[in-house]
Amino acid sequence: MRDLKHLNYFENLLTSAHNDLVRQAKEEGRICAASVCENVPEPLFNLPGCFGVRLTAPNTGSLDISTYYMTSFLCETSRALLERAIEGGYNFADCIIAPDGCTMINRAVENMELLNALGQGKEHFFYENMEIPFKTDENGVNLLILQCKNHILTPLKENYGIDTSDAAIRTAVREHNKICDLVNRLGAFRKEENPRITGYEFAVFTLATYVCPKDLIMDKLEETIAEVAEREPDENAYRARVLLVGAEMDDPAFVKLIEECGAFVCADRFCFGSMPGRTPIEMNESEDALTQLCRHYTYTGQCPRHMNLDKVNARRDYVDKIAREYHADGIIYNQIKFCDPWGYERATAGAALRDDYGYPVLSVDRPYNIQSSAGQMRTRVQAFVESIEYKNIKGAK
Amino acid sequence: MAIVKNEKKKAGQQTLGGLYGTGKVKKRREWRGFKDTMYDYGRWLILWKKMIKISLSRGFVKGLLRYRWMYYYLSVPYMVDKFTLGQRDEILRITHTALDIIVDDVALVIKCCLRADRRTGNDKAYSEKCVLVDENAMVSFMMGFPDLVALEREVPTLFSSNLINKNSAVHYIDVAQAYGIPGDVCPMPETEAGISIEDDFVVGGKCAVQVNSTCDGSMLGNSIIANRLEKDYGIPTFQMATPLRHKEEDTQKYAAEEIKAAIRFIEEQTGAKWNWKAYFECAKRVNETTKHRWDWLDVNSTDYPQFFGAVFSLYNDTNYMGNCGRSLTFPLYDRRVDALVNKGFKNKCMIAPEYRHRCLVWGVQPQYAFDMLYWMALCWGVMPLTDMLSMVIDKPIAEEDTPENREQAYYDMAYLSENMIMRNHTHGGYKVLVDELWEHCERMNADMVMLWEHIACKALTGMHGQFEEQARKRGINLVWVAHDLCDPRIYTKQAVRDQFNLYMRTIMREEPIDPTLEVLQDDEAW
Repeated sequence: MRDLKHLNYFENLLTSAHNDLVRQAKEEGRICAASVCENVPEPLFNLPGCFGVRLTAPNTGSLDISTYYMTSFLCETSRALLERAIEGGYNFADCIIAPDGCTMINRAVENMELLNALGQGKEHFFYENMEIPFKTDENGVNLLILQCKNHILTPLKENYGIDTSDAAIRTAVREHNKICDLVNRLGAFRKEENPRITGYEFAVFTLATYVCPKDLIMDKLEETIAEVAEREPDENAYRARVLLVGAEMDDPAFVKLIEECGAFVCADRFCFGSMPGRTPIEMNESEDALTQLCRHYTYTGQCPRHMNLDKVNARRDYVDKIAREYHADGIIYNQIKFCDPWGYERATAGAALRDDYGYPVLSVDRPYNIQSSAGQMRTRVQAFVESIEYKNIKGAK
Repeated sequence: MAIVKNEKKKAGQQTLGGLYGTGKVKKRREWRGFKDTMYDYGRWLILWKKMIKISLSRGFVKGLLRYRWMYYYLSVPYMVDKFTLGQRDEILRITHTALDIIVDDVALVIKCCLRADRRTGNDKAYSEKCVLVDENAMVSFMMGFPDLVALEREVPTLFSSNLINKNSAVHYIDVAQAYGIPGDVCPMPETEAGISIEDDFVVGGKCAVQVNSTCDGSMLGNSIIANRLEKDYGIPTFQMATPLRHKEEDTQKYAAEEIKAAIRFIEEQTGAKWNWKAYFECAKRVNETTKHRWDWLDVNSTDYPQFFGAVFSLYNDTNYMGNCGRSLTFPLYDRRVDALVNKGFKNKCMIAPEYRHRCLVWGVQPQYAFDMLYWMALCWGVMPLTDMLSMVIDKPIAEEDTPENREQAYYDMAYLSENMIMRNHTHGGYKVLVDELWEHCERMNADMVMLWEHIACKALTGMHGQFEEQARKRGINLVWVAHDLCDPRIYTKQAVRDQFNLYMRTIMREEPIDPTLEVLQDDEAW
């Protein structure tokens, strides 16, 4: 297929957390609210005068310093973020609002705070830690509302004068939904038998929506959708369609590696992916915006930290639904090494999807930067693709 | 710090390394002088009496044949010997008194489990009155159900069997890993998951309540257990959430609502009605326990600590978590221990010839599985004043039955749950894990911290560098002792001791008080 016009531009944006668009927004005088987890209602970071950035640490190499602070047993995402923070890579942020979502990310941010790794020279810089509901119920919704008020809205208003009114939240949600719409329209091309966009390309565009001010990329995403709609797909470009499921994954090179092995990543269900992160937020006029927003995040979230059994099993149904919708031949469950929640989720849900739902499942752990262990992963994915092909041949007979 | 010398000559044998051989048990019993040896031997015989008694209970023999973990209980006397190492006078009596009720309590749990178990005792009527509760649950939400049994089936299966035999979890860890759970998660919930995968828990009870108390791994492992309970055995299971940032005001309502929901669930499932009178009676007993514990900690802040080590921790664990005021017997033992603590303090009773360092034991501890804390005192004169898991509840809860207190009670139950043994310091931010350690050091005049570094506990190791830097800044000697909790294949007992030995010799430049204890060939020991 012909190269997409803006792909290289978006790839470049992903090479640094402090990318050109973040710089541009900061120069315009906007406040940058940094976060580290999908469980925080994202639109609240994009209130007028403010923009949100999910922290990433592209091209991570040595993790020596963060390993001293957190040992080699903490997941590489948390260590990579701390390492980058210590290096001064996030000094563009005006605050960091972290959920106590998983222990390791929480410890990473606490270390940043204790080491004064962010906000140097910024009078109003603040750290906030939020409690996130463990269950999908109304008690959880009420908790999230209170947490958002106390740890996002109030500090943003008091420190930076951000408008946190109901109207402002509705505006932010509308903007958020525009991005969701763009990402979903782009993602829908993956359902085709001969898709006009690769999983890698889609991962690059989607990731950019998490790490850039959203309003600054909308035009290029619109153009890309139009371009993809006209694009001539390659025929028989892949040997199997796979759904990629898992934890924090901000490394499109991992998707690229999978596709280089002959699989097409037809759908993405991971943090930094489009599902559920780019599910539009439905709002009505009768209830206040914050409540509706928190309800959306409480109920649509697919994080394994949600512990009620009906939700645990609903997560499997959700993966099955996506796999069917995107015609996946197999599922790759991945976790970042040393991640406890996904270590269990990968094992249990992977087994359920294989045994109860009948999908071929590849269950793998991976490093934060896939380049540090590309050979091993390539071998495993190749074998998985072959096993799907073999299964298909056997099925045809 | 000034060295505290033992004014009394210790009766009986002076060095203890000779007791250890290469077998599963010690070579012989310790000679403690005539009086203490007779006392210790008498307790040993009473223990056997208890074991014979429980072996006659309903379903015991069937259980022994059905469950792999059951046969570990044959070696209970070894566990008691392990925890009385080198002790004399009041300290020996405190340990035995505390162990008495701990053993009784575990025996009762085993008895109840087997009675309710569909495969062994199969007492259906009894089973209908049982609520399965998580091992890591503070059973505060059961305080107002005097007619129901809080069945902690994970305690005999995993926790206490591991006290008795350090290898008890190994098989189940392998089962879990063969299923696909990674090897780097905490082996404790992994063992629980393995037991459930292998279907080796007793099966009984009308319903179950799970909690998210300890860690991400524990919470996620629960889904395996819950699916087994609901799908295979039709036992409805409720997940009760407790907030992580438990010191924050804005999480308390959430916690209280969860308690209410758990109570509602139990009422619906069992038909039992919450009893406020029973609740407030329990609350009084919880407060009495809290008062005693803080009195003992005050004594441990002096030159003559009396109640310390693994048994101090175990006692708190059993008293608070397993009973939470529901037991009528615990307050009696609290008072007995209290009298012994005061007498021992008055008599300046010591476990070792001298105390060179006052040490706070922090981190997630494997000390239940072996005698490390007593060993520290006996081998190096390092006195373990208290440990992280014992620094739990620190304020009284409402105990008068008034309309206001009935609402407050939900918050109090939530407070107890939030401060359960394994989580009140590992969750809630660095302030409760790191800052509070230094506060306790100051309060108890500690010059040393022994930090159990459970390598798979991400909450703890996530603060590794902070502990190190802040200890250095405060001039506190910090010794790291790494381990992998109930998986002794990762760190053997001697590998654990070696880390301490190395620190004492190279950093502190000290010689052991009892050199025969420095290296022991006990890797095969239970």
